[in-house]
Amino acid sequence: MSVLMSRGLPAAWDTVTAALVCPSAPSPVTDDSVSEALTLLCEKGLGQYVEGWLLEMLQVSLASNVAPAFWAELQHPEVESRERDRAGALLEAFRTLLQRLQPFLCGLERLGSWQDENRVGLPGPGAHGLRERAFSIIRAILLFSPPPVLQQRVLEFYSRTFSVYMSQIGEQIESDEVAAEGDGNDMCTGCASAPQVCWCQDALEQLQEFSHILSRLQLLERVSSEAVTSILHRLIEQRMEQRCRGEYERSFLSDFNDWLEQVLGWLSRVFASEVGEASTSSLPTDWKLDCIGSSILQRWRCHMQQFFCRIYVNMRIEELFSIIRDFPESTPAVEDLKFCLERTNQRQQLLTSLKSAFETRLLHPGVHTSDIITVYISAIKALRELDPSMVILQVACQPIRKYLRTREDTVRQIVASLTGDTEGCSELASELSRADPVTLETQDSEDEGSDPEEWTPDPTDALTDKTGSKRRSSDIISLLVSIFGSKEIFIDEYKTVLADRLLHQLNYNTAREIRNVELLKLRFGESHMHYCEVMLKDVADSRRINTNIHEEEARLPEDEHPPIPLSAMILSSEFWPQLKEEKLELPAAISKSMEAYTHRFEKLKAMRTLSWKPHLGSVTLDVELEDRTLTNLSVSPIHAAIILHFQDKGTWALEELSGVLGVHQELLRRKLALWQQHGVIQEESPGRYSILEKASSRERPDRGIMLIDSDEEGDSNTTTQSEQREEKLQLFWAYIQAMLTNLESMTLDRIHSMLRMFVATGPGVTEMDVNELQAFLQKKVRDHQLIVSAGVYRLPKTTQ
Amino acid sequence: MASQNLDPAAASSTAALKGNETSGNVSKGSVTKRLQQELMTLMMSGDKGISAFPESDNLFKWIGTIDGAQGTVYEGLRYKLSLEFPSGYPYNAPRVKFITSCFHPNVDENGFICLDILKDKWSALYDVRSILLSIQSLLGEPNNDSPMNSAAAELWDNQEAFKAHLHATYKN
Repeated sequence: MSVLMSRGLPAAWDTVTAALVCPSAPSPVTDDSVSEALTLLCEKGLGQYVEGWLLEMLQVSLASNVAPAFWAELQHPEVESRERDRAGALLEAFRTLLQRLQPFLCGLERLGSWQDENRVGLPGPGAHGLRERAFSIIRAILLFSPPPVLQQRVLEFYSRTFSVYMSQIGEQIESDEVAAEGDGNDMCTGCASAPQVCWCQDALEQLQEFSHILSRLQLLERVSSEAVTSILHRLIEQRMEQRCRGEYERSFLSDFNDWLEQVLGWLSRVFASEVGEASTSSLPTDWKLDCIGSSILQRWRCHMQQFFCRIYVNMRIEELFSIIRDFPESTPAVEDLKFCLERTNQRQQLLTSLKSAFETRLLHPGVHTSDIITVYISAIKALRELDPSMVILQVACQPIRKYLRTREDTVRQIVASLTGDTEGCSELASELSRADPVTLETQDSEDEGSDPEEWTPDPTDALTDKTGSKRRSSDIISLLVSIFGSKEIFIDEYKTVLADRLLHQLNYNTAREIRNVELLKLRFGESHMHYCEVMLKDVADSRRINTNIHEEEARLPEDEHPPIPLSAMILSSEFWPQLKEEKLELPAAISKSMEAYTHRFEKLKAMRTLSWKPHLGSVTLDVELEDRTLTNLSVSPIHAAIILHFQDKGTWALEELSGVLGVHQELLRRKLALWQQHGVIQEESPGRYSILEKASSRERPDRGIMLIDSDEEGDSNTTTQSEQREEKLQLFWAYIQAMLTNLESMTLDRIHSMLRMFVATGPGVTEMDVNELQAFLQKKVRDHQLIVSAGVYRLPKTTQ
Repeated sequence: MASQNLDPAAASSTAALKGNETSGNVSKGSVTKRLQQELMTLMMSGDKGISAFPESDNLFKWIGTIDGAQGTVYEGLRYKLSLEFPSGYPYNAPRVKFITSCFHPNVDENGFICLDILKDKWSALYDVRSILLSIQSLLGEPNNDSPMNSAAAELWDNQEAFKAHLHATYKN
């Protein structure tokens, strides 16, 4: 025995190593001899080297033989280009690789099991540890610097199997290849080749084998992950581009989830073998298998969802302006975006992008104010869906609000759309009539009934201003009204609009206005709408008084009837906005009628009298000429006065007529244009006008364009906003003069702060910012009404 | 509802005043409002020759300016006054005195004015504008029965001499 031992040491080594690297040769018979030899080696202390030797063998063979051969094989079919062959070659290369590594793997397995059994005292990390070590070596050598061809091939192969898979489960993959081929009808949707050479089934089988080999070599994660990731990313992007871009009226989340489930089906095939292997080795129980399989898939699912959200948010951020414009049709898109935005950290990006979109696409002189308001309203609606904390709304719309403040017609537009008489946005009107109006209470009470438990902090991107989150309103009308800081300016504008409408109609019909006023009362409070109520009451009273006076006149004998029947709109001047002042001397007949009317009114209402506004109103008249009659013309009083004068005298000089009417010549010339257009009056020679009694003698008004009475026809009866502005400046100037008179000299800032402090901002008086003030003061300096030196303003020394 | 009706500008200046007037209370708010209103009235009235404005951000201290009325010896002279409003304004009269020294029978060397409506005849119906107008007319029509400056009262009858003295001593 001892002889055998000493002599048998090399033999024992040979026996063991042969058993390890040529597992096919030994039979169960030799098993005993192997273990005998092993025992011998161990006794001599050589057992530990077996493991090192085996791994060394693996490494050497891998580095010198196997790996180069593998890469050569992989690159080999470069010459021919059929995809199917390339797929085959890829599989074949891995097949060979596995084959050539198989002996080592079996040897390792065996050695590991010996170590595990520990039957002869063989030291070592055991089967699991050995396997790990061996695979580390394989990965290290094989994939130390993989040529790009591997990735390409794997990518191509996966893409193909993916489309095959998807086509098999009935999903039409609208991948670009299919679309590009155009005649995809007679092609297999899976492998994009003619039906007779379809290799879909092969591909799937190949996939299975491929996955199996990879997982056997523990290369799956290494080789596949990158390819799978890039395929899925590309697909998601592609799908998003095709399906979602520009499409805001459908939700894509559930659609995407369905699709994701299908994709996961494919993924489960890619990673199937890993799952399968797990069951054969260390984790035998079924539930653990499921657990591992699903945990891999779960990881991918999360990854995909995350990626989808990011891509989706990116795209929607880009499109947010259009989405807002299309709101509420785009509600599904907004909801999707809200869902995704909560999962990605892109609020800041959204804010920046939206702000700049507003600035470039909306806030420039080419956009009509009503359009800006419409978009702003949509933005309010859309963004309050998107972000119930209203922070996005507040921050992103800051530029719009700022810009609207600079537009002169903003208030008028808003008020017009509030009352529903504008072509553009009718939303405001319906918003106004909503059942549950939010009162415009700007003071919020501290004990707002809200549960402190439900308090949530503002998002970090909230504007840090004095208005807390409670102040952040989502009510469209209050938001619009708050653009200007006070509701008075709106109420004032509404008064103007109301006055205009009442004075334009002249038919005493106020049903609609009453409704509007009632609705506005709900919003702004009774006290603010008091003036409007008086105005409406004036109209109703006027109607009654008119009827009364007319009845009284009708009772008079025929010859005492007033020459011209009048209907008056009687306004309480205190309560109506400033009416335009224009001078106009009416012909005697009309004045007489007015006097008679006034007289009757004074009888009716003691202690009151009428002060007529002769230039306002409308006159209905017939013009009878020699050969024709113009009936039922409705014209302004000045037009009527003009033509009335021609009744007595056929020809008038301009200055003569201007003297009689008390109207400026230039204005008169413009007003005459109306009658020239009607062919009633002609300008014989410059400055001389005469009546055209016969149509035949009338020359065609070929200078028609020039004659158009283009000025403020149909214009408002009340003062305009720019006039109001002028008034405001006048008021400011009074203050500035007073403060400089008393305090001698002041800096711009001090003047500004004084104005801010002491000018009561009321109707029509809004604050003036420093720049505006500076411009104003500079103008006064140019006009020598002010002196400035070293930044200090003073009044010039008046000649006292 | 009451707080809603409060003028925002008035509210803000009340807040500004709180720093100076620690005794800010409810009545102070209405005084502020009244003074604000008076300022507005004065600005809108456009009276020639009288003017006033708060001295700083304190609405209770104003500086006034009066130009001597035409046809009087004071024509061409401009006088500065200070107006201080008590917290009981307008039920209590404001304290008004000349800053520019004024040679006048009813004005003493410290600028104090003897004018009935600033003393016992004060009524809440008067306002800054009426005070200034009264003082302006007082310049031309002194009450020589109860002079504070007897030298001026004696000189008054000789308008030429009075005017010469007035202009010689006037310093702005």
